Amino acid sequence: MEIVLKGIWHSYDNQIMVLKRIDLEFKEPGIYVVLGPNGAGKTTLMKITSLILRPLQGVVLVEGVDFWGLDKEKKEEIRKSIVYVHDKPILLRGSVRDNISIGMKIRGKIDEDLIDHYIKRYSLAEVQKRSVHKLSAGQAKAISIIRALVLKPQVLVLDEPFVFLDDSRARILVEDIVDIVNCGGKVLIATHYIHKELRNEINYVIELVSGEIKSVVKIH
Amino acid sequence: MVESISSITIRSLYISSVASFSAFIIAILISLWLSKSKRRMDMLSPILEALVGIPTTVIGLLVYMLLCPRGPLGFFKLLYTPYAIMLGEFFVALPTATSYMARHFYNVRENVKELVLSLGSSNEKFITVLILRELVPILLSSYLIAFSRTIGELGVALIAGGGIEGYTNVLTTAIALQTSLGNYEYAIWIGIILITITLLIVVVVKLLGEYVLWK
Repeated sequence: MEIVLKGIWHSYDNQIMVLKRIDLEFKEPGIYVVLGPNGAGKTTLMKITSLILRPLQGVVLVEGVDFWGLDKEKKEEIRKSIVYVHDKPILLRGSVRDNISIGMKIRGKIDEDLIDHYIKRYSLAEVQKRSVHKLSAGQAKAISIIRALVLKPQVLVLDEPFVFLDDSRARILVEDIVDIVNCGGKVLIATHYIHKELRNEINYVIELVSGEIKSVVKIH
Repeated sequence: MVESISSITIRSLYISSVASFSAFIIAILISLWLSKSKRRMDMLSPILEALVGIPTTVIGLLVYMLLCPRGPLGFFKLLYTPYAIMLGEFFVALPTATSYMARHFYNVRENVKELVLSLGSSNEKFITVLILRELVPILLSSYLIAFSRTIGELGVALIAGGGIEGYTNVLTTAIALQTSLGNYEYAIWIGIILITITLLIVVVVKLLGEYVLWK
């Protein structure tokens, strides 16, 4: 799935522009890292790319079609391919398992085996029936990541995915990211630093400073 | 003859329950309307928060002026009746419950919408189901907050209710009355009951939150 951002501007209050003149293309499968300091506009850029946020100005083309000009049904169909993971996990009332299965419930099909696989993989088996409000920040982060992974998205957008994750879970996450790319998918990662586990896997680094693209570097 | 503590307690619980439940229902409607728009929230939340701080004696005075024989609602002849206390306590509880609920409703609505969108959907039906599920503990705690605010207030009960023994005397007015008469032991006992009820509410909210509602 190709996503192209053309002339994107965004502001939350119509005064301060959070994003300015963004032109980006996510065409080839690979890992795209959006690198920038706090407040650079990374989260806004990721939400616009994930089709969560409508930009103030500019066009978001998905497979060459202006997404925000489409009707509701077509939008819903396209959205199924893109999943975004928040920097601060949004967890709802219920157990770890309940939260992981939310996305599957929305799509009307729950694959318990796949959930089991990821729960074991991210060492959450012991807490899977526990209320999510009793978990550590790292566990909460892992749940939000698994919740996205079980949906097998074509485009996975991760906002600061390595924050709170321990080294072992970070390594597993990088393996899962690489798997998505090997299956022809794209992974977009917004971060303020490049995690050591990720360093050798990145395809593109996009530097974002004060809402503007400073550079786009193809690594391999 | 001094009225029994049990009858004062039952009357207090009855009046506070009716007042807080009415305020709770209206607060839900206002909060649902408010939480639909960020602009409404930004404009009206500070006003609601300011209303929370209005002294109950002022609300009591307003209810008195409303219900006194020469007041606009004087023909109802409700002054110095349990209904006058209910009306006053309704206004005491309403801003508290609404302020608490609206803020949480807004946050829940935004979070759930954002989450469902992030998982690749904008299914309104599913969003509504998740929002309602998330709101259950908020509704319960806001009702209990409203109830504890009404059962512990004195201004309205004294000014609009008059603290008439056997009729409008509630726990707070009984404490005031017995203290003024020098019956300190009796006043202390009523005080202990009032504190126990308030503490029970806190414990119930905590336990429900900890073991039932967040699961």
